[in-house]
Amino acid sequence: MAAAAAATAAAAASIRERQTVALKRMLNFNVPHIKNSTGEPVWKVLIYDRFGQDIISPLLSVKELRDMGITLHLLLHSDRDPIPDVPAVYFVMPTEENIDRMCQDLRNQLYESYYLNFISAISRSKLEDIANAALAASAVTQVAKVFDQYLNFITLEDDMFVLCNQNKELVSYRAINRPDITDTEMETVMDTIVDSLFCFFVTLGAVPIIRCSRGTAAEMVAVKLDKKLRENLRDARNSLFTGDTLGAGQFSFQRPLLVLVDRNIDLATPLHHTWTYQALVHDVLDFHLNRVNLEESSGVENSPAGARPKRKNKKSYDLTPVDKFWQKHKGSPFPEVAESVQQELESYRAQEDEVKRLKSIMGLEGEDEGAISMLSDNTAKLTSAVSSLPELLEKKRLIDLHTNVATAVLEHIKARKLDVYFEYEEKIMSKTTLDKSLLDIISDPDAGTPEDKMRLFLIYYISTQQAPSEADLEQYKKALTDAGCNLNPLQYIKQWNTTSFFHRAFTKMASAPASYGSTTTKPMGLLSRVMNTGSQFVMEGVKNLVLKQQNLPVTRILDNLMEMKSNPETDDYRYFDPKMLRGNDSSVPRNKNPFQEAIVFVVGGGNYIEYQNLVDYIKGKQGKHILYGCSELFNATQFIKQLSQLGQK
Amino acid sequence: MAVDITLLFRASVKTVKTRNKALGVAVGGGVDGSRDELFRRSPRPKGDFSSRAREVISHIGKLRDFLLEHRKDYINAYSHTMSEYGRMTDTERDQIDQDAQIFMRTCSEAIQQLRTEAHKEIHSQQVKEHRTAVLDFIEDYLKRVCKLYSEQRAIRVKRVVDKKRLSKLEPEPNTKTRESTSSEKVSQSPSKDSEENPATEERPEKILAETQPELGTWGDGKGEDELSPEEIQMFEQENQRLIGEMNSLFDEVRQIEGRVVEISRLQEIFTEKVLQQEAEIDSIHQLVVGATENIKEGNEDIREVPHL
Repeated sequence: MAAAAAATAAAAASIRERQTVALKRMLNFNVPHIKNSTGEPVWKVLIYDRFGQDIISPLLSVKELRDMGITLHLLLHSDRDPIPDVPAVYFVMPTEENIDRMCQDLRNQLYESYYLNFISAISRSKLEDIANAALAASAVTQVAKVFDQYLNFITLEDDMFVLCNQNKELVSYRAINRPDITDTEMETVMDTIVDSLFCFFVTLGAVPIIRCSRGTAAEMVAVKLDKKLRENLRDARNSLFTGDTLGAGQFSFQRPLLVLVDRNIDLATPLHHTWTYQALVHDVLDFHLNRVNLEESSGVENSPAGARPKRKNKKSYDLTPVDKFWQKHKGSPFPEVAESVQQELESYRAQEDEVKRLKSIMGLEGEDEGAISMLSDNTAKLTSAVSSLPELLEKKRLIDLHTNVATAVLEHIKARKLDVYFEYEEKIMSKTTLDKSLLDIISDPDAGTPEDKMRLFLIYYISTQQAPSEADLEQYKKALTDAGCNLNPLQYIKQWNTTSFFHRAFTKMASAPASYGSTTTKPMGLLSRVMNTGSQFVMEGVKNLVLKQQNLPVTRILDNLMEMKSNPETDDYRYFDPKMLRGNDSSVPRNKNPFQEAIVFVVGGGNYIEYQNLVDYIKGKQGKHILYGCSELFNATQFIKQLSQLGQK
Repeated sequence: MAVDITLLFRASVKTVKTRNKALGVAVGGGVDGSRDELFRRSPRPKGDFSSRAREVISHIGKLRDFLLEHRKDYINAYSHTMSEYGRMTDTERDQIDQDAQIFMRTCSEAIQQLRTEAHKEIHSQQVKEHRTAVLDFIEDYLKRVCKLYSEQRAIRVKRVVDKKRLSKLEPEPNTKTRESTSSEKVSQSPSKDSEENPATEERPEKILAETQPELGTWGDGKGEDELSPEEIQMFEQENQRLIGEMNSLFDEVRQIEGRVVEISRLQEIFTEKVLQQEAEIDSIHQLVVGATENIKEGNEDIREVPHL
């Protein structure tokens, strides 16, 4: 049984690995890629559309593309010159315009041979369009291979994925929840989501058991997904889930659980101010597809009158799985991050000094006979020092990167007093007594941007058991408008509150004791050490808050469903099993055992706070894995924008 | 899991063909499909560049095959014990080395040539980039194959060095036993040894070798079979001292060897770095020159402006 457990653990190979392997195979002309040190070089050109670009960029760096033999990588809809004698690998979505452009390429005879890979399945008619163009251009033999890749999702972390980036307005929270949506539009949105989820499960190689709440968009997705999976399984000839295609990834002992939740279950978390590194970076900086863009303001200088204003330096960094510091600390509370950067810097400096010291020892050679005996050791030391230089340089680069990023984050924290907001919101959400009145914080001109205040107020409004009285509400509204806030989001939330279903569901959950986390302010020890070491991260005036692990609503739902706990909020969730012969509608789960593997998917958008909460939750459980996905990834700013658009109508 | 729909595609092509025929649509070039295709393709610039690139690759491939083929024999240290078929003399090895080196040199020259020619006549940025990348790949391939060769060679050199070392050690155990049995004859030579202060290992070897015939003459000449206990002790002490000296010499030499190997590795690393830096320094030089020019022009412009 231990072997089986190990097998399932290994089989839960991260989704990132799987997608990367699939991409590499595709780039290797659809043949599994084997590293051969004396293999002949083969070169090729990679053509992708924006969807393809978003999928590839978090997974493969330009260097890795080079290693696979790709000399050029180009956008489909760009001017491309004919390059004779080179095979071209296409990785595009099968849309009208893409197909047209590909046919044009065929007609213009741009490349030697064509390997066409479609991100999601192409329809028969479109395939015939390409066939037509190929015939017209007498290029049929040049089309070497055509593949449906089923990779229509973006993997950001080992256990986190997003549906899409390019057309996220289509599937955004706003798109799904706006009151004027027509049935056909809704159908399109649902189809897009289901297509991506389907691709996800094909790549994962497993057929999940689906649970979803009733009466929500999530339910629509569940129904459609179930139908699609079912159809595919029945079609014995073309099934994508047969034993041999699953290969080593077969979850033969346990099927994963897919929990589909709707964003409306919990609107407070996307607005929440946060305190962990990755979530902070996403909230405060421009963080997108694992790339953070910083604007470095080049210090305050006296510029002579009439001089042009200094250009701000833009820098962007990729936060990748190779970055060990990031992997270790992306879920840590910020003060810990600051301290760790300091520690890394110190250890790097120590190593640097080692290398420098050798230099001075070398200098003794001519003078001191006694040093000669040391010398033989030192030659070896020198060699190891020199060969470890690239490592040191890499370390330095990472330290610089994180110093810059963390400093930028810290600046925001200090300027907007985000620690105060965080603490306050945590208190609101956990219903502990508030030491400062909400009105005070909102009217305080120093603390935070208008948006921060709006977020705080909305969280308060969502989390209270009873709505504030009209008079109070007016007071708050006035204070908010004075602070410069736009009140549209509030309009929408009011609506949301009164929509009986959600409000009922939410208050049901909210009535559970301590539904959100509570924080304590850790004694000053940690902070004072950071300050005493003359750290760059002078966190004076910034509270050193420590998160106490409590579960967010989404995590709680998952916990109930995964551990088969009985709980009023999840008991009436629907149950779908695509592998069962007859789709029955019962809520009674056939499977009584707790699940080892679960995928949580939020329809309507998610964020890193939820992701981090899930990661923390599953850390405590041995041998269990969770994957988190959402239809789009937004930070609070983007979410507020959507809410205010919704509130305007 | 990706799905191969190439067959589906081919089927679609057939469908479209028949449909077009049925509709009587004159598909441009599709009617005389095969002939037209051939006709179409030949005037297409086949690319002088790529055919030459492929030639270079096939040459490198030949070199690689050649090296791999003879690798086993080359490395084989026990060739003197094996049958004729497995044996490879040193001259043959040298020959292989030489051939390989010439080959590598020609290949890298060919690559250089291609590099300079690749950028002529081509106006498209993309094609230039592509060609540069292709040449980088080929160079990388050559490097990998050269590594094969250098690994082989390193093993061979190491074997030779080891052999030499072993062959020098061999007389020691023999003479040691001889010394202890005929101790009185060695009394003179050890004192000579200590005076001469042997710095190299050949000298002890020579001296020991010398003592052997000397032992013979001495043994015959002296005719004495008895030794006083003090003399025996003294001789034994001398022996011990000699052994100690030989050992320390041996250690020193080994250390030196180790150091030299390290130094050669360091040299390699440093040369690589220096070459890298050369390119960078060149570009920095260009930049600086450009910057000076700009500053000069700027100064002149400023001077021209009449002071207000």
